[in-house]
Amino acid sequence: MSATLIGQSLLSGLMSGCLYALLGLGLTLTWKYLRIINLAHFALIFLAAYLTYEMSTRGWHPFLSALLLLPVFFMLGAAQQVLMSRYKVDEFASVIVTFGVTIIIESLIQYVWSADFIRVEKRLARGSLELGPWLAPWDQLIMCGFSIIACLLVWVVLKHTWHGKALRAQLDNPSIAAAFGVPNRKLSLALAGMGSAFAALGGVFIALLFTLTPSQIYSWFGVILATVLLGGLGSTFGALAAGMVIGVGESLTMALTAPAWAPIVPFTLLILILILWPERL
Amino acid sequence: MLKIDRLCVNHGLASALTGVSIEVNRNELVAVIGPNGAGKTTLVNAIARILPVHAGDIFFEGEHVTNLSPLELGARGVALIPEGRRLFTTMTVEENLDIGCYRTLARTHRAASLDHVYDMFPVLRERRKQIAGTLSGGQQQMVAIARALMSRPRLLLIDEPCLGLAPIIVSQVFEVIAMIRDSGVAILLIEQNAVKALKIAQRGYILDCGNIVAQGSPAELEAQGEIKAAYLGAH
Amino acid sequence: MAARTRSNSAGRATPLLALGACALALLPLFHPPLFFESFLYLIFFWITLATSWTILGGFSGYVSFGHGAFYGIGVYAMANLGKPLTFGPALLLAGLLAAATGVAIGAVTFRIRRLRGELFALLTLSLAIIISTIVLNTPIDGGPGVMVNIAIPHVYEQQSSTLYLIGLCVAFGSIMVARAVQLGTLGRGLFAISDDEDVAEILGVPTFAYKLIAIGISSFLAGVMGGVHAIFVSYVTVGETFSISVPLYVLLMSILGGARHWLGPALGAIVITTISYSFVGGDSALIARAAIGLTLIVATIFLPQGIIGLLLRARITAPELPAPHASFAAAPKTPPYEPTDGPLLEAREITMSFRGLRALDGVSLTINKGEILGLVGPNGSGKSTLINVVTGFYKPTGGVLLHCGHDITGMSGHERARLGLARTFQIPRPFARQTVLDNIMVPALFGARHESRGDARDRAMEAIEFVGLQDRCDALPDELNLHQRKFLELARVLASGSRLVMLDEVLAGLTPREISEAIEMVRKIHACGTTILFVEHNMRAVLELSDRLIVLNQGHLVANGNPREVIADPVVVAAYLGADHAEN
Repeated sequence: MSATLIGQSLLSGLMSGCLYALLGLGLTLTWKYLRIINLAHFALIFLAAYLTYEMSTRGWHPFLSALLLLPVFFMLGAAQQVLMSRYKVDEFASVIVTFGVTIIIESLIQYVWSADFIRVEKRLARGSLELGPWLAPWDQLIMCGFSIIACLLVWVVLKHTWHGKALRAQLDNPSIAAAFGVPNRKLSLALAGMGSAFAALGGVFIALLFTLTPSQIYSWFGVILATVLLGGLGSTFGALAAGMVIGVGESLTMALTAPAWAPIVPFTLLILILILWPERL
Repeated sequence: MLKIDRLCVNHGLASALTGVSIEVNRNELVAVIGPNGAGKTTLVNAIARILPVHAGDIFFEGEHVTNLSPLELGARGVALIPEGRRLFTTMTVEENLDIGCYRTLARTHRAASLDHVYDMFPVLRERRKQIAGTLSGGQQQMVAIARALMSRPRLLLIDEPCLGLAPIIVSQVFEVIAMIRDSGVAILLIEQNAVKALKIAQRGYILDCGNIVAQGSPAELEAQGEIKAAYLGAH
Repeated sequence: MAARTRSNSAGRATPLLALGACALALLPLFHPPLFFESFLYLIFFWITLATSWTILGGFSGYVSFGHGAFYGIGVYAMANLGKPLTFGPALLLAGLLAAATGVAIGAVTFRIRRLRGELFALLTLSLAIIISTIVLNTPIDGGPGVMVNIAIPHVYEQQSSTLYLIGLCVAFGSIMVARAVQLGTLGRGLFAISDDEDVAEILGVPTFAYKLIAIGISSFLAGVMGGVHAIFVSYVTVGETFSISVPLYVLLMSILGGARHWLGPALGAIVITTISYSFVGGDSALIARAAIGLTLIVATIFLPQGIIGLLLRARITAPELPAPHASFAAAPKTPPYEPTDGPLLEAREITMSFRGLRALDGVSLTINKGEILGLVGPNGSGKSTLINVVTGFYKPTGGVLLHCGHDITGMSGHERARLGLARTFQIPRPFARQTVLDNIMVPALFGARHESRGDARDRAMEAIEFVGLQDRCDALPDELNLHQRKFLELARVLASGSRLVMLDEVLAGLTPREISEAIEMVRKIHACGTTILFVEHNMRAVLELSDRLIVLNQGHLVANGNPREVIADPVVVAAYLGADHAEN
């Protein structure tokens, strides 16, 4: 096992971690602040990825697609939240209901784009950044940049703006917050919209970095949920750190054993946490 | 300023308040005292529009406010310091105060209001970065009071501010309430501690089993001997 | 509603079902077309999976997304072990391996108090991925898939007919197991867990063990069906076995059919399998899939009781009331005390802190056999916390709790309930989806008396008659008024046959007339030899009832003694009226 290989594994693990955090960002926010475990988040990511693909075949630059997708998905997320609160779907039922939404979107994707593998030909950037013996592909680095900026942005909004404070107050004590003028409903819709917008952003990068097929929606469930739970609900930097731990764990596992063992890493970590610190989650 | 006329509130199928009428005038501190389970918290939550009113009317500054939402009532200058403080426990002291002045109008006075409450509670200035849930009970109560003051209320509803506090802190809390009274904010104080409450109040009502059983100045109430009867069932 | 009729709905359905199963078993003799047998086999397959899922997910409310993992373990156990072990033992092992995995994952998640349901759902979702990764990367499969070529017992000429028969047996067996679970003690416990797990524990249901048993049975049945299915498909691959459609269909069938009834999932399985069998291939399969997603959403929101709920609601008849019991309106008898001297319950220096706030600060007290001990104190003085510590809901941060001289500080809630400690809740917490009778059955079965089922029913009826709710036996808690719900709480502690009953503000919110009734009721309960801790705001009732009175203030015990003297104690007056009063 050479130092080069270990170093490369660490590097690509850290980059995967950024992707996990980006994909988990919306999920962790709606789970913590709206008490909705939105499995449809994964379906939205893939819907955005497929739309990015569709637009790229018409010559759209991925960033241009993102510009269009973000507001559209914001509206989608807000609309879903309107229905969720209209029918008083609780945290538990939300898992089942959003699972249903996921299946509908998956069928829709398969209906429109078929189950065949597809790939966006357009690359954001070619080549890699060379760090001594190690390589970091430029398009992945761009993704990492977006992920870190998104996490930072959410943190700043939550921590330092009136809206962020109101959101946290609403979580602690909704009726008291309302008495001081916090518009609970508006904030919930905005947050749900934001969650979906992050799904769209994640989807754009999924389209750029991976080959797409509809059933892959489900293969992301495990690793992202593990990232969100390990990082601590609602914690953006927690998700980033947890994503990196999982990513590095996966890439080291791949390097040391076989690539196919990687999916086991996040759950082993999650189950270990559950056994060792059951009340931490 | 606040006028409550024959207010009835039900808890499910049981009635918690049966025709309660009270008044609070400008610059006045009115205490509503009574034993546990008399309906005090129900009364204050009904006034704050958190609980639905079954019958009767609430007027604030002459306007009928019985059907307003807590949000709208708050906008008119009524602030609640709820029983058990109910802070935003995962947020810092200053963030709690920020939510107090969340409304646009109050927000413009944020700096001045902060100075005002920090002068009133110097310990909160020291601890303004501390998470509210980790403060002692007395300090938490001060945050609750300060948070309500940040909204620049004209009427303050205070529900059992001394619940679970050590006696020495209780005295401090009453001193603070007296200070707020002197600063010109009308106060409706709901309290179990009859003696202390009546010491700082101009008028008092005794609530028992959902009814006002006595009212008057503190001296009159003491003289009537109703207090003891209501609390301890002595005849 | 499903719950309303659960005590007597099993009557006619079971013989009919058995008759139908026999008829289906003979079907191959008439040489039906081949596709017909395999269609019916698929129905049996889904009935088994959906029914086994329901034993945990439906009855106890712990939704699993990982049922495919248990089933998959069964598939691969048969594929690998069928040859060396022969069919029978391999099938048993398939079930056992799946059950062991299920129990292990349950042991990890069921200990958690917060979010346990959600975490369980997500962990089981991940479980399928872990298991499939292991299978894919080890010689269990290794990637290319496994040929399954195992001899099965010879019943009918065609192997497919025999397999059809085995499928039928497993499906019928699963339904019968689900029925036995639902109508038995285990089912009572699981339904209580799904409605209010904390209350169930305090009433004596061993919640942790019951959940493990349920997941064990559930995953065992799924594993067995997986073993059979391995032979049916004859060539197993990881992709097919662990696909998301298995847990998805299972969830849908159960929820659609009715997850709180043993027959519900079978109905759901028949409906869904028939529908998806009619839409095969191409776009229509996709549309069927989307329709399934939509149905899942709609059923969760609008049809929480499922198809079976609709059917049962249509044929609710007059409730079947047992004949008036001989000991009408006599309180249930309390078991004799163990021959020990000293107090029934003793608390030594109990301290309970929450995030630095001391709700109880070194409280020591004794409760003597046969007394009514009044407990009063201002709001927030620690009365409710004390009850929660005694029932085991909170673990005290310091101090010791003795019952008849034995240390019970570390004991779980249900063990304490079996010792005879019971409580009522100030705001009644009935099991919302169970009738009055079923509500009272829970403490009768699991409480201090620990009755057999028939006796428990008699005991529950006695308790119901004692509090005067006999006309409302079949009502759901929502249909009761506050006064009746308070009496339901009283009937619960009565039916449990507990020696020490803690009444938490039973009079709050009642009218003066209802208060007199309730006081009378407390007297009658006490007259049967029950020790009572009476927590109350209403001072007149306390003085009227209590033999002894203790006062809590700020988490400290400030007075203890004769009620009238305690009330006159300056310290108590000060606690209630304000600190200065004593000095004046």
